[in-house]
Amino acid sequence: MHPALQGLLTIVIGVGGCVGYFYFSNVLLDRVIFPARGRDMGRNINRANMVRPWLFLFPAIFALGLYLAYPVAETLRLSLTDRAAGGAFVGLANYQQMMAEPKFWEALRNNFMWLLIVPAAATGFGLLAAQLTDRIRWGNLAKSLIFMPMAISFVGAGVIWKLVYEQRPVDVEQIGVLNAIYLALGGAEPQTWMTIPLWNSIFLMVVLVWIQTGFAMVILSAALRGIPEETVEAAIIDGAGPFQIFFKIKVPQIMGTIMVVWTTITLVVLKVFDIVFAMTNGQWETQVLANYMFDKLFSANDWGVGSASAMIIMLLVTPILAWNVYNARKEMR
Amino acid sequence: MKHALMTGAAALALTASMAQAEQVTVFGPWLGPDQANVEKVLAGFAAASGHDVRYVGSDSFEQQVMVDAEAGSAPNVAAFPQPGLAAGMAARGFLTPLADGTGDWIRENYAAGQSWVDLGTYAGADGNKALYGFFYKIDVKSLVWYSPENFEDAGYEVPTTMEELKALTDQIVADGETPWCIGLGSGGATGWPATDWVEDMMLRTQPPEVYDQWVSNEIKFDDPRVIAAIEEFGAFARNDDYVAGGAGVVASTDFRDSPKGMFSSPPQCYMHRQASFIPAFFPEGNIVGEDSDFFYFPAYAGKDLGTPVLGAGTVWGITNENQAAHDLIAYLQTPKAHEDWMALKGFLTPYKGVNPDAFGDPTLRKMNDILLGATTFRFDGSDLMPGGVGAGSFWTGMVDYAGGKSAADVAAEIQSSWDALK
Amino acid sequence: MDNIAGSKSSLTWAVHISVAVLVFLWLFPTVGLFVSSFRTSDQIATSGWWKAMFPSVQNLQLRAKAPELQVETDGLYVIEGNLFAEDGRDQTEISVYGISSRAIDAFRPAETAELRKGGTITVEANGDYLMEHTEAFRGSRGQRVFVTAEIPPEFTLTNYDTVLGKDVVKRLVIYFAAAMIFAFVLRYVVRDRAGIMVAALPTSGGLALLLLLILVFGLSTGTVEGAQTGDSMAKAFFSTLTVTIPATIIPILVAAFAAYALAWMDFPGRALLIAIIVGLLVVPLQLALIPLLKLHLQVGIGKGYLGVWLAHTGFGLPLAIYLLRNYMAGLPRDIIENAKVDGATDFQIFVRIILPLSFPALASFAIFQFLWTWNDLLVAKVFLIDATGETTVMTNAIVELLGTRGGNWEILATAAFVSIAVPLIVFFAMQKYLVRGLLAGSVK
Repeated sequence: MHPALQGLLTIVIGVGGCVGYFYFSNVLLDRVIFPARGRDMGRNINRANMVRPWLFLFPAIFALGLYLAYPVAETLRLSLTDRAAGGAFVGLANYQQMMAEPKFWEALRNNFMWLLIVPAAATGFGLLAAQLTDRIRWGNLAKSLIFMPMAISFVGAGVIWKLVYEQRPVDVEQIGVLNAIYLALGGAEPQTWMTIPLWNSIFLMVVLVWIQTGFAMVILSAALRGIPEETVEAAIIDGAGPFQIFFKIKVPQIMGTIMVVWTTITLVVLKVFDIVFAMTNGQWETQVLANYMFDKLFSANDWGVGSASAMIIMLLVTPILAWNVYNARKEMR
Repeated sequence: MKHALMTGAAALALTASMAQAEQVTVFGPWLGPDQANVEKVLAGFAAASGHDVRYVGSDSFEQQVMVDAEAGSAPNVAAFPQPGLAAGMAARGFLTPLADGTGDWIRENYAAGQSWVDLGTYAGADGNKALYGFFYKIDVKSLVWYSPENFEDAGYEVPTTMEELKALTDQIVADGETPWCIGLGSGGATGWPATDWVEDMMLRTQPPEVYDQWVSNEIKFDDPRVIAAIEEFGAFARNDDYVAGGAGVVASTDFRDSPKGMFSSPPQCYMHRQASFIPAFFPEGNIVGEDSDFFYFPAYAGKDLGTPVLGAGTVWGITNENQAAHDLIAYLQTPKAHEDWMALKGFLTPYKGVNPDAFGDPTLRKMNDILLGATTFRFDGSDLMPGGVGAGSFWTGMVDYAGGKSAADVAAEIQSSWDALK
Repeated sequence: MDNIAGSKSSLTWAVHISVAVLVFLWLFPTVGLFVSSFRTSDQIATSGWWKAMFPSVQNLQLRAKAPELQVETDGLYVIEGNLFAEDGRDQTEISVYGISSRAIDAFRPAETAELRKGGTITVEANGDYLMEHTEAFRGSRGQRVFVTAEIPPEFTLTNYDTVLGKDVVKRLVIYFAAAMIFAFVLRYVVRDRAGIMVAALPTSGGLALLLLLILVFGLSTGTVEGAQTGDSMAKAFFSTLTVTIPATIIPILVAAFAAYALAWMDFPGRALLIAIIVGLLVVPLQLALIPLLKLHLQVGIGKGYLGVWLAHTGFGLPLAIYLLRNYMAGLPRDIIENAKVDGATDFQIFVRIILPLSFPALASFAIFQFLWTWNDLLVAKVFLIDATGETTVMTNAIVELLGTRGGNWEILATAAFVSIAVPLIVFFAMQKYLVRGLLAGSVK
């Protein structure tokens, strides 16, 4: 039980430390530094209230700065230097080297394909599932079953889908579902799905769509419920059919939410590399940027190019970042 | 039992040096049964020296050791499956030179000692060459595995020349069966089994000097001689009639799965070319020498290149210096360290001072005979090339080749990735 | 009107059917894994898992007894027995058999085959065989016999014994049943009392009993021979818990305070800070690994639990702050203003009002972070797992298993299912909170 006890102890210390920090720093501020009494009472209260937000924010800002902002800056620096030459500044040489590699362009092309297909498919299926499950009694059960893949690790999902795509020689019975169906539908011989360029990328995307659809469904389902009854009723009275109601009334009403879901999944697509890593490791023209970066950083040990490709990913997420920031600021007003 | 062990250990500790007991961490690529084996050897060291030894294996050894070394949290001793990786680490100053006299010991006690010293000597961060790596545990790669009973059923004879092997291959096809099982899949390392094929073919079509020049890139990867060797491999792997499942599945079949086809009912193939470790992935209960056996991957009788053997091995280096790490390397120079693993499975050694009767398994002796009968012994070339090629573009290039790209295109791509590293 | 009602009901049917198809598609792959984990390697290799409920026709390679067991009577050497018994299998019906790998279906049961080395063998449909020869049989191994037989469906717990250690599943089931009964009894005992603590008593009592049983009686009765996993899986399980729980709680605390400040406190630069946090949501994690590991080692944290907690905290914070701020900003303004008028400090407002009201969002993020840390491999590999071998996590143990047992689907399926079992339980138990918090973050 040693590790369990140790874990328990550290939980107590960690949590106690956090609570203690917030409590005692507040006490310190109110009682010792700017006491709310005596001559400067009014001024002290004001000053304490100026400082307090930063007390509340400090641990978060510290951790964010250290764990996310600093690495971004460090990566930018690495992408402009050459480690073999003792960290000398080499300008854009790493970027040039990367641009000269066909694998990079393959990764970029695949990434764009992922960006087009996965968010669209996941949002589409999610919307469909949300609309359909809202209308039936066992809808909640159906929802949690569709949502379930969210809880499965990429390692687990990799094994699950490898079994689906498994192929056996032609004269042996197939144990992969996809090949069994393919043969039953009249396919000539079992296919090695993971090695057919283009198709294999699509089969990898299916895994991510499978995982993300539940997320889209849950959020869109709530948005659909938020549509005022009267709007829909008015449309029915006007003689609109169910499809018209859905596409002309409901979808436009929840467009904002659809965009949120779409961009969130886009972010996942840009960052995710586990699926590709586990199932093909970028072979057979399935490379994507995140896996390319991992390859360069940890296999080829070329930090310059690895960091450069990381910056490309950052560049690709920038529009979404800007859109997120713009929305956040709009909400503030 | 425990008591006896304790007193034995105490006695050994007394007889060993009175040096301070330290902790020594060993990081290696072995998992599963091999992990148990290496732990037995290390237990012997712990008992003899009194040090506290911990072994950790990892499936992604290459990445993990690099990340740890970069970050400064390296283990004390690492057992590299690829000398190229060790050389890279040495060049960045992550390895400590081995104690003085180690090189002399290797020269004296290992068969072809000088070549092992050369393979373990790298340039350090300061550019000075020194002995950084000690070879321990060798694999022979030029082996073809088969099921003797299936050969018997079909009336096939074990071929002794490449011409005979090719004739046998055609014979099996003519009989309506499939001769070979070939699988290149290996997760992140997919493609490496093909590099062994190409290297073996290189040794069977070109003199060893050309092989050495190829490995050091003195002759280019897209040299016609290299392309010819790749195509020799393609003659087997890209022929739909030769490979179980057709040429299309070669790249995606897991190398661990691939040999199982020889033992299925009915057999999906008759032969499988792979290194000495592969029986670990044969079906449960399969006994080498009974259910399965191997023969030397033969050379062309018409080429007069002798009997070349391709091999590999793990090179042990000190990644985080302490006295115990040096003691461990010294311990590996005792016959006991070798004989302990010889008594188990999957261990060959060039150490001349061991008692060959220590082999626990007659097939290991047979493999050692192949090793000793070699007129040329060459180390796995992809392990000697820079990591970006030998553990990168060479692998992926072979996958592309098995998938239908032309050998010339693949070779040119690998060469350009090599140029990019310079 | 009839017309409309009719089309309405057919539409309802269409909805039911489409939802059923969707659920089926989404569930199908996972069920495949689950079913496969209860099948033997032979079965997995020879028939699709969807046929697991039906008997399958398999080609088997069986062996007669070794020649050293032959019996000589009147100059006739005889070996006899049952092929299935020799292999430790249940008897089934043989349809055809053969003695050469080239012709595995050459003979019908009860037909006699000439052995190549002399002598004959006769195999009956039930697997009984009789080998006869006028000279002694030679060789070290028994005659190979290839049979084609219909193997009945069979499910086994062996795979779980191999991956987790002997009897772990059986014991877990027994302990769990005991805990359920105990919880049920508790609920009956306290049925008339009211209050939050009382309501939680049956569940927590049952959980406590479950833990107690595990601690007192243990889970495993030993490891299966040749399996390297029993012990290390249990260790990995506790290690994973040790990583997961603090890595879930600490970021919540830190984020809750920050989210309150961003939602309800006025200070210069607030909008900018929110924008930055939203921006940090998109940073790919891979690029943070090496700079941070270096930093950890420089300041002396090294590799270990502390490092991995801090890393998970850092990586989880943007989402936590974002979700919690959105939720808190939606709380009714007058409650907070009334409290301020009554003279409550920000700290008091936060602890007494905001935290309890934000429970759904907190729970939702907790589940998210739990799933993410439990399923994580990369962060653990870089910040936790070092060369001493003391620390590992479930995902890593499974990936290593994939490396050593790559082709063994039964082991892969079982290991993968074990790794997803805990997140699935947490997910199904807590999903209503997960959904609520998700909504807080995205729908306004």
